[in-house]
Amino acid sequence: MPCLTLILSSSNEERPLSDQAPAAADPILVALGSDSWTLRLVHTGVRMARELGRPWIAVHVAVPDWETPDEEEQARVWLQEASNLGATPAWVQASTVSEGIIEIGSQRQAALVVMGTSQPRGPWGRLDQARAQEAIRRHLGVRVVAVPLEPSPPGTHPVPTFKELLGIVPAIVMLMGLCAVFAMALDQAVGFPGVPPVFALGVGFIAHRWGRAFSLPASAGVLVLYYWLFASAPFPYHTGDWTNVLFLAGTLLLVQTVVLLVDRLHQETRALHRREAETLLIMLLGRTLARCTTARDVAQVLVERLQGLVRARAWVLTPGAGDTWVQLPETPEAPPSPHPSEFLPHFSDTARADPFEPLFMNGCSYVALAGQGGAEGLLQLRGRQGKPLALEFWGLVQSLAIQAALALERIRWLEQAQQARLDTESERLRNTLLGAVSHDLRTPLAAIQGAATSLLLPDPLPEASRQDLLAMIRDESERLARLLGDLLDLTRLQSGVIQAQKEWQMLEEVVGAAVQRQEARQGPLEIRMDLPESLPLVPLDGALMEQVLINLLANAHRHAPHSPVVLRAWEEPGSVQLEISDRGPGIPAEFHQRVFDKFFRMPHELKDGGAGLGLAICGAIVDIHGGSIWVEDNPGGGARFRISLPLDGTPPAPLQPESLPLILEGPP
Amino acid sequence: MTQTLILIIEDEASLRRFLVPTLANHDYQVLTAANGTDGLAMARGHSPDLILLDLGLPDLEGAKVLQSLRQWNRKPIIIISARNQEKDKVQALDLGADDYLTKPFGAEELLARIRVAQRHTVQTAEETPVLEYGALRLDLERREVTVDGVPVRLTPLEFRLLEALAQRAGKVATHAQLLNEVWGPLAAGQIHYLRIYMGTLRRKIESDATRPKYLLTEPSIGYRLNVD
Repeated sequence: MPCLTLILSSSNEERPLSDQAPAAADPILVALGSDSWTLRLVHTGVRMARELGRPWIAVHVAVPDWETPDEEEQARVWLQEASNLGATPAWVQASTVSEGIIEIGSQRQAALVVMGTSQPRGPWGRLDQARAQEAIRRHLGVRVVAVPLEPSPPGTHPVPTFKELLGIVPAIVMLMGLCAVFAMALDQAVGFPGVPPVFALGVGFIAHRWGRAFSLPASAGVLVLYYWLFASAPFPYHTGDWTNVLFLAGTLLLVQTVVLLVDRLHQETRALHRREAETLLIMLLGRTLARCTTARDVAQVLVERLQGLVRARAWVLTPGAGDTWVQLPETPEAPPSPHPSEFLPHFSDTARADPFEPLFMNGCSYVALAGQGGAEGLLQLRGRQGKPLALEFWGLVQSLAIQAALALERIRWLEQAQQARLDTESERLRNTLLGAVSHDLRTPLAAIQGAATSLLLPDPLPEASRQDLLAMIRDESERLARLLGDLLDLTRLQSGVIQAQKEWQMLEEVVGAAVQRQEARQGPLEIRMDLPESLPLVPLDGALMEQVLINLLANAHRHAPHSPVVLRAWEEPGSVQLEISDRGPGIPAEFHQRVFDKFFRMPHELKDGGAGLGLAICGAIVDIHGGSIWVEDNPGGGARFRISLPLDGTPPAPLQPESLPLILEGPP
Repeated sequence: MTQTLILIIEDEASLRRFLVPTLANHDYQVLTAANGTDGLAMARGHSPDLILLDLGLPDLEGAKVLQSLRQWNRKPIIIISARNQEKDKVQALDLGADDYLTKPFGAEELLARIRVAQRHTVQTAEETPVLEYGALRLDLERREVTVDGVPVRLTPLEFRLLEALAQRAGKVATHAQLLNEVWGPLAAGQIHYLRIYMGTLRRKIESDATRPKYLLTEPSIGYRLNVD
């Protein structure tokens, strides 16, 4: 039976708490369980800690083979809640609960122990609990406050089974007999006024012990008994004394009315406590949810709570791409969920009479996660044996769902705000980019246009000038092409369009290709290479890494045209290091970071230098390889660029000729 | 020898404006088509000796045009493509294109590629068993390789690799083509085998393996045996 009779009778008295011998800083030890009753203990802990001005420790005693992993998980959730409310959480392994409490209690010098007692199962259960409390009291020398959990709720006596009935009915008959004997004795001694109180006491006890269902027939029985015993023979002097019978009936009616009113009062108190507990629970959930930063966290928290409270597995469904749900948390046993469009007609406000009523479909109950701005998704609950969610939980689940929906909504807004900020940022970047680019594009275009138009003038230019202008058109158009290529590359790299297609490459091949390409562009390079043959294969994107090397070689050439470039590579644990150093003017230390920025040019750099994109591209490419690039001073003058590339993944198996599909001889 | 007829299938007028006079000035006869459909029709009608094909055509995908052409036409086809289309280039080469040029390109480069494509047709026609590229000499029949007259000892696989490159001398051979021809269809995707063998081949043939003169790398596409 699912138990969310969260709280509880006010009749269980907690003895007035007094602070005696223990030092004022000694903590209150509260032993927590794993079920939903634990909330009551947490509640008591908070209140007592506040009232006594002491710190409190929330402890869970894990007894081997006693709790399922699910229950242990739930216990951790309660500990977390308690620590949210100021407790120091503790987790103890012990063979019995009392041993665990004694152990942690003596360790932390507890001033007071608070523990729950459940409804005892038979007289032995009651004795066991008493013994455990006594042991703790004796060992720790402190008071033990027992908080009754699962009290027998007055006024809601369960319907007895036939077997129980066989025990109850004779007990009632005997009790009534006893009352009759006592009443007869009193009648003899003091007369009629002694009779009604005796029967009223008996009926009142029956009502309290077994419920009104038994006290009503008992009242009727009393009247018959009285009439038969007192109002008829062999007590002739009472014959015809109907006033007495009526008076007794009135008394019993009064008893019934009082019992009824007390029951009502109890029920209301219970409801009040339950609401109080629910409010605390919702507040706790709200606090936990406020710390969640993703929908997945929200789902996790909500699902954990629901599992403990309503004993149902739960999932949060948020709208996914197209007509699908994203089901959180992703568990293999998650039940399939109908498409979002199938829910739409069911969740319109007018469709259902009770807005709290969950929708029941295919063995699962569904509750809308509706925030202020509309539905954020659905809560899917699967109870035991696929039963619909019990009526008593509707309100609570709805309240929790609203909390979760608000959290989801907050996260969604946060994401939107973040996206908006990103958009603004990229818009700003685009504007700077456009400004810088338009200048860099116009310069070569102006030169090309000027040269071409002057070549087309009717007065022919001298041959030498003609050649000069034509060469200029070629050079400027090449520069323009390079700039556009760089811009395109950088944009695509930074927008994530280009992914590194990593393949196991030989570094010397990539270096060779870059040198070859660069030489084709600007003539023979003076370059010294130190690439040991023992270098391992490196996972990298050949075309992209070639671009990095070309840019670095071009930089070296531009800034140190007449000095040799040294290119070295070596292996380090988990990475390959590549170094390109020149003997140029070098880069001042304050620019070591900024040279990798887009459109960064060194002060006083020549106007016809690059657009400040080359190193930014290098940085972006090395970045998508998961490596790093930096520049340092070359000892002895010049700049030294270092690239570190991770050797991640499993390298291909070493080459064994017999493992290859060989076709050794002859043409196919 | 009659004039070589070149068909240009290119949709951009400015590029045609540059190509037509340049080629005509070098004794080529030139035909132009502004889209794939016209291009295919003209290829059938005029049987050009060489085709320059732009991959980004307005009506048909370049790859489709190439496929249709290759169903009946064995003449050299050179692809003209925009930058950063490595995948498209590899696809075109695997579909049977002979070579590719990346826009923008200069006149010298274009003329050199056309010459290589033509020479190749001539060479295959003669079935020359001995090939010479600078100091590198390849005797396909006797399976001998010399550099500057010095014999080079190659393993059978290395020889087959060199042979596969020589069969396309001057033009790019894609990774897939080389793997298929040297290791067989089962080796598809094992590019690192190819890289390692190319490394050892370079160390045997090139004077400096990091600055190859003969075995050039076309990053992300394949390799090219340099004939200049």
